[in-house]
Amino acid sequence: MMNAAAASQQQPPRPEGGTVETFKYDNRIVRAFAIATVIWGIVGMTAGLLAAVELFFPAANLNFQFITFGRLRPVHTNAVIFAFVGNGMFTGIYYSLQRLCKARMFSDKLSWLNFWGWNAIIVAAAVTLPLGLTTSKEYAELEWPIKIAIALIWVAFTVNLLGTIVKRREKHIYVAIWFYIATALTVAILHIVNGLEVPVSLWKGYSIYAGVQDALVQWWYGHNAVAFFLTTPYLGLMYYYLPKAANRPIFSYRLSIIHFWALIFIYIWAGPHHLLYTALPDWAQSLGMVFSIMLIAPSWGGMLNGLLTLRGAWDKVRQDPVLKFMVAAVTAYGMATLEGPALAIKTVNSLSHYTDWTIAHVHTGALGWNGLLTFSVLYWLIPRLYSTKLWSVRLANYHFWIALLGMMFYVIPMYVSGITEGMMWKQFTRDGFLQYPNFLETVQQILPFYRLRAIGGTLYIFGVWLMAYNLWKTARAGVFVPEEEVRAVSYRSQAGAHSEPAFTHRWLESKPILLTGLALVAVLIGGMIEIIPMIVVKENVPTISSVKPYSALELLGRDIYIREGCVGCHSQMIRPFRSETERYGEYSKAGEFVYDHPFLWGSKRTGPDLHRVGGKYPDAWHYNHLDDPRATSPGSIMPRYPWLFTQQLDTTSLTARIGALRRIGVPYPPGYESKALDELNKQAGKVVINLKVGQIKAAPDREIIAVIAYLQRLGTDIKLAPKPVAESATAPRAAN
Amino acid sequence: MNELIDKLGGIKAFGIFSICLFVVVFSASMILAFCLKKPFLKSMSALPLEEDSPAQAKNSNTPPL
Repeated sequence: MMNAAAASQQQPPRPEGGTVETFKYDNRIVRAFAIATVIWGIVGMTAGLLAAVELFFPAANLNFQFITFGRLRPVHTNAVIFAFVGNGMFTGIYYSLQRLCKARMFSDKLSWLNFWGWNAIIVAAAVTLPLGLTTSKEYAELEWPIKIAIALIWVAFTVNLLGTIVKRREKHIYVAIWFYIATALTVAILHIVNGLEVPVSLWKGYSIYAGVQDALVQWWYGHNAVAFFLTTPYLGLMYYYLPKAANRPIFSYRLSIIHFWALIFIYIWAGPHHLLYTALPDWAQSLGMVFSIMLIAPSWGGMLNGLLTLRGAWDKVRQDPVLKFMVAAVTAYGMATLEGPALAIKTVNSLSHYTDWTIAHVHTGALGWNGLLTFSVLYWLIPRLYSTKLWSVRLANYHFWIALLGMMFYVIPMYVSGITEGMMWKQFTRDGFLQYPNFLETVQQILPFYRLRAIGGTLYIFGVWLMAYNLWKTARAGVFVPEEEVRAVSYRSQAGAHSEPAFTHRWLESKPILLTGLALVAVLIGGMIEIIPMIVVKENVPTISSVKPYSALELLGRDIYIREGCVGCHSQMIRPFRSETERYGEYSKAGEFVYDHPFLWGSKRTGPDLHRVGGKYPDAWHYNHLDDPRATSPGSIMPRYPWLFTQQLDTTSLTARIGALRRIGVPYPPGYESKALDELNKQAGKVVINLKVGQIKAAPDREIIAVIAYLQRLGTDIKLAPKPVAESATAPRAAN
Repeated sequence: MNELIDKLGGIKAFGIFSICLFVVVFSASMILAFCLKKPFLKSMSALPLEEDSPAQAKNSNTPPL
């Protein structure tokens, strides 16, 4: 493997006599994004730590509704993904893109619009999510006005990115930039398609998709948010910063070509592996599983390309904390991308899904791949921006080991917890009964691991504080270089010097528009093939005649359920396993969700599934349970919801909600709006009477009444009808 | 669109079609990658290693760590 000097000697001769242009790189925007990365990293991880503590100490929210686990979890995930990793990604891209294109960013105004717009969106998220203004769709929780703002800011970034590429002075586009292009295009498509809502009010909208279709679109988005927001841009950063830090060229440029095209093509198909054994049709599940397994090949191709870049330079890794972080990050990427396909195998998924195993998996990626790579880029970048040395290499080394220790304390307990709860849920006695019929037995068993996880998170955050201090001292010791003056041969004077043979990859690398178009086609194909049949072929969602739209009171109760983030801990999807049908009741059918805008299947069971909870307990039980979960369920880790008993049910937007749902296909009869309030009051009155039976005196106009009505409706429609023929013909096979 | 999809012999055909499509994309990227000449590969691999600016060239003698 050649070193940098050798590499530059073997380069083909650069065109001589071309027009040399002088220009300046913009470092101000890079610094701004870097500062935002560190600040949001601390904020997002601290929110995660508080959420983690609430899982073993539910009173940690101090009965304050804005920081219950249900509302805090999306704050944590959004802050870490879009604020920390988002700003980290922009930091790395804005620095490397200018250097790789030998051009200043296309527009300073767009750069700053990108910075302020993105960070204003994050602030808006930090305010609205605790207020309960959420769509409930994972990683797409922000309501429609913020979604529109995200789309606009993302377009500004994309125009700036493509504009810089078009005005570049380097003829060929380096592999890192291909990954940036794929990121910009795909995130825009995912965000727009999944975010389509019909607005009800300024801060409320309903997903235009329902049930199974909503689930497929959401997990097409959710999976590819991981792929194209957390992975492809960071692979681009790896392809730039790893060679930079190691001072060695990438191991194989050929491999990077295959890595890129195979990865972006395959990734987009894998979304349905989040919905294995659910009511999603089998063909879609199988496609998701097969493509997920195939994903190992390009992912490991990329990982090996990164690690083998260090061939012959491993001695540097011992001394250089930047390389230490990079090696650990790329290794974590390899582990996560081996485990991901394994979890997509139906047999493995039947155990792992809904458990903490998934939490362990995503944190291997988030803490390891994204976190450590971000730290390495910051440690490499900040001294250069300030034209100085890193203030303390020793402190950076401490940070590395503390971060690694924190990761271990986080991830290992979550693996143990996930496997423990998964096996306990499935365990039968010799007599054929569930060994642990009380869900709380399984919760109690894993609490020690939740405590250990919080220790891991604390260590990891402590490491980030050390980094912040180190980088701050570095900045203080140096002098910021806001603009770097450089000279390069103009693109036009180079163009005549090279003539590319058409239809080769070399030719493609000099055609940014064509490259962008092909990348767009590659990412669109998978999504279209999966989503279009699901929406247009009716047999994918067999209807059930007895399934009716929610009543007015149930609808408002459902929206409160969404507001409180109940879906973060409770699934509404019983898989066709004996262990689940014994515990929860009949498995869930696709036709039961046709009026669910959005779907609320969930992805985690910190508490039990609720799809068949309707009619399982009296109204008074739900009343007492929501007032104090430990009164009805000793050992429960659910928070109290005292505000549901004092806050008045808001019926002012009822008409708008019904109208919006009717526009997207929910068959409320004409004129239902005019009698909806009367019907709501009658149903609320019935709930109040039921509560009296349980010696509870309640006002009919409180939020708790609507929540009880909704919970009592869940999963009951199907009990009113004989089994439909179409449904039994397509029923999945039962398994243990 | 619905008719078109039905005529394909059922949506299960999408599975076979999808795998075939991947084979085409993967093969094309392999062919394109292996048709590239070594000097070009080396020059592209070395692209991030070029000095970013005169200031950095000066700094490269004193690495920031």
